Amino acid sequence: MSVVIASSSIDGGIGCWDLQTGAEQLRYKTCASPPHGLTTVGCRFLACSQLRDPSATSGHLLYWSWSKPQAQVKSFPVEPIKPLIANSDGTYIVGGGSSGDIYIWEVATGRLLKKWHAHYRAITCLVFSEDDSLLISGSEDGCVRVWSLFMIFDDVRRQQVSHLYEYSFTEHTLRVTDIVIGYGGGNAIIVSASEDRTCKVWSLSKGRLLRNVVFPSIIDAIAIDPGEHVFYAGSRDGKIYITALNAESSPSDNYGLHIIGSLTDQSKPVTCLAYSAEGNLLLSGSEDGMIRVWDVKTQNITRMFRHSKGPVNNIVIVRLPYPLGRAESKSQPSSRKHELSLPPPLEKYANSSDEDMDNKAIVMLPDTIDLPSYLSSQLINDHIKQLQQQGSSAVAEMEAKRLKADCQRSKEMFQQLRKVYDNLQEFCVNELLDEQTMEGSKGN
Amino acid sequence: MARFDQLENMYDLGLKPVMLRSLIRQYLPAENHPLNLNNSCFELPSLVSIVQTHCLLSELDSQSIDPKLINTWKSAVDDWLSCLLSLLSSDMSDKCWVGICLLGVTCQECSNQRFLSSYSIWLIKLLSHIQPPADSQLVKIASCTSLADLLTRLARFPEVKKDGNLLAGKLVQPVLKLLNEDNVEAVWEGAANLLYALIAFFPASIHHYYDKVEAAIALKILSGKYSTKTLKKLGYCLALLPKAKADKDSWSLMMQKFLISINDHLNEAFQGVEEEAKSDEARRLLVSPGKDLPLPLGGASFKGTSSERLPTATISTLMFCCCKMLTSSYPVQVTVPVRSMLALVERLLRVDGSLPHTMLPFMTSVQQELICSELPVLHAYCLELLIAIIKGMRRQLLPHSAYIVRVVTRYFKRCSLPELRIKLYSIIRMLLVSMGVGIAIYLAPDVIENASYDLNSLGGEDIETSPANTGPATGALPQLSNRKRKHGAKTGSLEEKQDAPSPKVGESNTHQMTPITVKMAALDTLEVLLTVGAASKSESWRSSIDSLLMKTAINSCKRGWGNLESNIFLPHESASVWADFQFSSLRALLTSFLAPARTRPPYLSQGLELFRRGKQEAGMKLAQFCAYALFALEVLIHPRALPLDDFYSACHNSTDGASNRFLENIYSGSQKQNTSFLSAMRRTEQGGVESHDDDLYDRWLQNENENENQNENENIPVEDMKDQTSRPNDPSFTNVLEVREQEPAAANADVHMRTENEIVVQPWHLEESVPKSQGVASAKAVMSPAVGTNPEVDGFDHVAGKTSSTLPNAKKGSSSMVHLDSDSSMDSFPGIVDADPDTDADSD
Repeated sequence: MSVVIASSSIDGGIGCWDLQTGAEQLRYKTCASPPHGLTTVGCRFLACSQLRDPSATSGHLLYWSWSKPQAQVKSFPVEPIKPLIANSDGTYIVGGGSSGDIYIWEVATGRLLKKWHAHYRAITCLVFSEDDSLLISGSEDGCVRVWSLFMIFDDVRRQQVSHLYEYSFTEHTLRVTDIVIGYGGGNAIIVSASEDRTCKVWSLSKGRLLRNVVFPSIIDAIAIDPGEHVFYAGSRDGKIYITALNAESSPSDNYGLHIIGSLTDQSKPVTCLAYSAEGNLLLSGSEDGMIRVWDVKTQNITRMFRHSKGPVNNIVIVRLPYPLGRAESKSQPSSRKHELSLPPPLEKYANSSDEDMDNKAIVMLPDTIDLPSYLSSQLINDHIKQLQQQGSSAVAEMEAKRLKADCQRSKEMFQQLRKVYDNLQEFCVNELLDEQTMEGSKGN
Repeated sequence: MARFDQLENMYDLGLKPVMLRSLIRQYLPAENHPLNLNNSCFELPSLVSIVQTHCLLSELDSQSIDPKLINTWKSAVDDWLSCLLSLLSSDMSDKCWVGICLLGVTCQECSNQRFLSSYSIWLIKLLSHIQPPADSQLVKIASCTSLADLLTRLARFPEVKKDGNLLAGKLVQPVLKLLNEDNVEAVWEGAANLLYALIAFFPASIHHYYDKVEAAIALKILSGKYSTKTLKKLGYCLALLPKAKADKDSWSLMMQKFLISINDHLNEAFQGVEEEAKSDEARRLLVSPGKDLPLPLGGASFKGTSSERLPTATISTLMFCCCKMLTSSYPVQVTVPVRSMLALVERLLRVDGSLPHTMLPFMTSVQQELICSELPVLHAYCLELLIAIIKGMRRQLLPHSAYIVRVVTRYFKRCSLPELRIKLYSIIRMLLVSMGVGIAIYLAPDVIENASYDLNSLGGEDIETSPANTGPATGALPQLSNRKRKHGAKTGSLEEKQDAPSPKVGESNTHQMTPITVKMAALDTLEVLLTVGAASKSESWRSSIDSLLMKTAINSCKRGWGNLESNIFLPHESASVWADFQFSSLRALLTSFLAPARTRPPYLSQGLELFRRGKQEAGMKLAQFCAYALFALEVLIHPRALPLDDFYSACHNSTDGASNRFLENIYSGSQKQNTSFLSAMRRTEQGGVESHDDDLYDRWLQNENENENQNENENIPVEDMKDQTSRPNDPSFTNVLEVREQEPAAANADVHMRTENEIVVQPWHLEESVPKSQGVASAKAVMSPAVGTNPEVDGFDHVAGKTSSTLPNAKKGSSSMVHLDSDSSMDSFPGIVDADPDTDADSD
């Protein structure tokens, strides 16, 4: 079951719709999110960073379980966190602070594992690479940086290098608004959008700019087509520009080089985009509080979800392994267990409280399925082999038993024969004696 | 007999009851008849195989079967069972044994219905044979095994779970008794089988006896006197035991007990070869200060193992237990003491039998010899533990990954035993796969160094060749430390000196030969490294690895193809090693072709030749792979970047170029009939098709209208294509080129193929795997030259220069447009250059 979740910068909760049927599900309450602040943690539960008034010194992060509308776990990081992201199996949560620091928490324990100064100004967006081993961050200072998590966690190597990042892309001149990464592991492309009215395409393997696309207006959101033929750029003028990546474009296109078309619904600025690979749907959130579902093939709107009056600024498509709501009722005790027990809140500082936990990790051991295997026929073969060799003590024992039984039987037989013999002898002796006495009596 | 005549063939169901009855007559000894061990008994395996092959006990029940047949079959199986049960209750142990074994087979083979109706009776019957009065060993073992089979089958019916638990509970005590009171190892093995089935399928039944089971098994393991197989079986049971309680704490407690016990044994074993501080450090990690020590494994302490032998068996079994705990599923989340496990691994791997200076006077050479002889086994288990840690922790290992990498690479430098190196390679592969690109960047140098060393050194396959063949390469590579660690008995410092490179020694020494299995592991590891990390920062090592892989593949195949059929004269495992090696080398070669790179694969032509030969000549598995490789490389040679669905038909409704592209899609879509000739034609032609307001294009449109079935236009006549190919000197060709500049590498490859020989073809592997970035890059180069020279563009330069040195203007991005008849297209090239500033202006 695929659901769409969306949140807004004005408290309208987190809306949740079934993508196939369009039916609205639970609405999760009290959420005012910054852009890129909404995420699911391994599809197990929802997490969202919260907007705070500028004077607030600490951040605010909420968890919702799928089954309850109220936020169940609240965390207060040391500074306001804007973008928030979890890796695909939901073991780590990464948040970008307004000071330019990036924080990595372990979900199961809530421990702050690492924190480092990544940018000069606030982080605006965070993305994991396909295999979750690289982290890409964009910042208000216009910088896009690529981090290897392995490096971040390697305390020895960290001291040997001059900079922690793998690449730092500085070509954007203004705030980076969105980043997406394409397919292909280390050979992927990164597309970033910025307030300088450009989108830039970067090569992850070569670490440099491949293409610069200038738009008529500021782009706040991008979504990439899974075949990387084009990418979609949601703009503040309300249009979604279709921009060529792999597709060919001619210089005579109306909007500028590489821009080969647009999707438009006379709406207010487009604030967020998401692409659903099943069914090739593009979802766009707008400042008018609507979420539009586009069929990219026909370029028509197939569905609209109404979120709230305020601008929608996060859309996430989540594939749930089981239907919402039904999970608690029956049949899936294990998933239920996951769902009902949310992990503890995220810690404020590293190395606080339980130092012992540094040496440990809370892990769900991987499920292994063994086909049942039967042993009897193998055992027969083994034992027969032993029997044929006649060498092992077990066989000897068995043989001895058999011999004993034979012996017993022979003894019985012997006894019997002996008895018969005795009887016979007695009979004969008696006969003889009788005869003699008869003869004797005759003779007498 | 009359019945027999009615049978159709061997699949006739009517055959089954008849067959079963004659089997009973023939093989099963009657009640009062003495069993002749030498005859009927030895035929049991064939009896079992007949029963299993023909499913004689399955009692298929469906509507289509004649009810009379069902009844006959049922009564035959009834007879079979009554016969077995009477054997079972015989007082002759051999008869009894036959009955028990066959009942085990019956548990596996009989129908669900019959099993559910009679399993409890069978269980009670079997149970009586593992209880005193003591019976023969074979009977005991067989009953344990049959009971285990019964439980295995029973576990597949969730509806009888409760009843199953109840019945299984009755078995626990007799099993414990067997473990504790019997003194024959084989019986324990049988008991372990049963215990495993109990814990795995009916954990609740063990719950009350948790401590007793733990104590019974621990006693056996800690005594360390028995065969590895038995100990492993028992250890597995112990590792699964926490499932009986299924809570977080019992898992952690068990793990902690294992680790402490291993640690204690190591302290004892490593006295003299390790500094004291190490053992204290390991201890500190295991038990956090202020917390109580848990009870030792098994409840009470079992001290007093013989001091002459190292407790290797115990330590290795305990490590095996840890592995199993980490890799078996567990119902709840558990706390894994990662750090202390890793510390244990590091501690063990660090000990190599050399003596620290401070210990020199206290050790005798006998003691040292003892340790050195046992160390390889311990190291092997230690690496297994590391593998289990990686498997169990998966992504959550990230904070510790750097530590692991350091331990592994350090050990790699010193390790020279083949089995251990193979394990190390597999650890590296696991790390690469689970941690992805991020780790590949940092692991690459070590992998390259070790793999090149192993692949370049002499191996079994090179025996006939002179060392000169491999000589230069070996010399050029960094030498690893001298492999003869174990003789470094005197001091550590002596060894340091030996570490200096000494290539001569290495080549002449036969002990330096790398076994073929190690080479395979190295190849597999290179393959994974290429798949994961070839895209990132690989410039420094890529070309040498490509050439190494090509060389290895050629060497592996030069003496013909390995035989995949297992040779019945050889022991099982060595049967197809050679073919496996070829398989590994070809797979690695294919990966090196397909992995992203900046230049085209330099050895492609040799590689293709190799695959072609393999496809024709090699055995099934290899030929299949070679066919696959050729198939995969086809995309490399004719790159395609096909749009999603018929995206353009919709997208380009508004723009003028729309229908052109629609057309083009159809062409790329029709690549199925990919004779090289046709595809070459098509390429050339797409140039024509794409041009705006071109008469060729119009004709194509017409063509298309004629062919109503547009999407399957395989039926476009070849003559038409030829016709159009012959006209590329059309004036509109400039436009074609202009469009082409922004085009992805989709359609530009094999024109060169046709004009030049294969080697001068432009870097199409790059296009294949990075189609978009390349297309993008070339476009970029056109737009904003200020960015600097792109290597791809350089690549283009290079190729363009080779293809035709008279085309200096065609460098930027458009070398892909060189046509079959370059003379005529020459005229149009200046057009591109003119077009470039225009494009720039447009975008601004």
